Amino acid sequence: MVRQARSEATRRKIMTSAVELFNEIGYPATGLGDIIERAEMTKGALYYHFDSKESLATAIIEEGSVRLAEAFRGIAASSAPALETIIHGVFVVADLMSTDQIARSGMQLLRAFGEFNDAAARTYDGWVTEMTERSRQAIDEGDLREDLDPQAVGETIVSSMLGAELLASASTAGADVLERVARAFKVLLPAIVSQESLSYFDEFLARESLRHSAAPAAD
Amino acid sequence: MTEHLDRRADTTRVQILRAASRQFARKSYSLVSLDDILADAEVTKGAMYFHFPSKYALASAIIEHRIASARTSIDELLARKLSGLETLIDISYLLAIEDMGDETARAGLNLLQSIGRTDGLQEDVLGQWVTAFAAITRKAARDGDLIADRDPEGIARLLVSMYLGLRQTSSLAQPERLLHDLENMWLLVLPGFVKPDRIAYLNQFIKRRTAVALKKATSL
Repeated sequence: MVRQARSEATRRKIMTSAVELFNEIGYPATGLGDIIERAEMTKGALYYHFDSKESLATAIIEEGSVRLAEAFRGIAASSAPALETIIHGVFVVADLMSTDQIARSGMQLLRAFGEFNDAAARTYDGWVTEMTERSRQAIDEGDLREDLDPQAVGETIVSSMLGAELLASASTAGADVLERVARAFKVLLPAIVSQESLSYFDEFLARESLRHSAAPAAD
Repeated sequence: MTEHLDRRADTTRVQILRAASRQFARKSYSLVSLDDILADAEVTKGAMYFHFPSKYALASAIIEHRIASARTSIDELLARKLSGLETLIDISYLLAIEDMGDETARAGLNLLQSIGRTDGLQEDVLGQWVTAFAAITRKAARDGDLIADRDPEGIARLLVSMYLGLRQTSSLAQPERLLHDLENMWLLVLPGFVKPDRIAYLNQFIKRRTAVALKKATSL
């Protein structure tokens, strides 16, 4: 039991050190030797947990995805209409991405590995499925136009949010991701929201952006 | 071995609490007899007295249980990170849905209103409730939704009073009516403390919550 806890702590330490280095000098430039040095571990300890740099990256992608998915599910209470959950959820996830190192690093690795890595495919699929399901529900609830294909809406939302994250990452190291997400929704919503619900969601989005741009001491 | 026994004792305790909740949710405190609860729980008198020395002890345990579960529900809502006012509105709908469809929830509030009055329990529980609401109301003020100089504590007290009154004057057995009354209550009070330019949005928010709640609500 004690041994298991210690082994888990070692694994965490290795992952955190790797994330720090990936952030500082990038994935390609980081060698396993650098990680061992940063984590103050032996080579044996690292190889016990990860057999390659790629398996370490996969673990970071998975851990990051789990954190983001949990954040989304945490806010997806059934008392809220689905489109509110989609919008609010995307903001919460984007916020976590800019504050949680592992989640952020996971996203960057996801992009780097894209098509070669199973974890990447699973993560993207998971988000599209989730958003498609909620879009279907939002169509039923009358908030999204009824002539839309839920799958197409789900894919469009995930694509534009990933795009917003990519641009934010490239131009401001992720600092303005929330503003970009808000702008993307501002353009997207009039195209997909039903006529009756549009003015409500206009306001919903405005409140959401306002809340997230407020000083961090807001709570 | 002892662990096994403890677990069995736990199950018995839960069984008694459940049976008692069923009774207290439907009948007033004074009309429920321990014999009804015994029969319903299918436990012996000895087992019952081992866990709860009196009807009063049993009732207090149900109230405690309700407070704990309400706290969990509210924490979950707070974790959704909506604005303060939206959170308060969501909490009121959640409490109403639980009050209508969940026996322990219904029994907890029934008992609080009938037995808690004399021994300070009611004051204590409602005090906690008001404090929690006041904290969320202060968040609403920071969100910029409240008219300046409105007292968060006073607003919190008003909201708690209104819900407790509503569950008496409206009908917990008729979700449609209760939710309609709850909606009306919100629409009427908001202008008392919410900035005029925020009201149109919040009114819509409330109506949308009623629509969702109507689909979810069940009655005992």
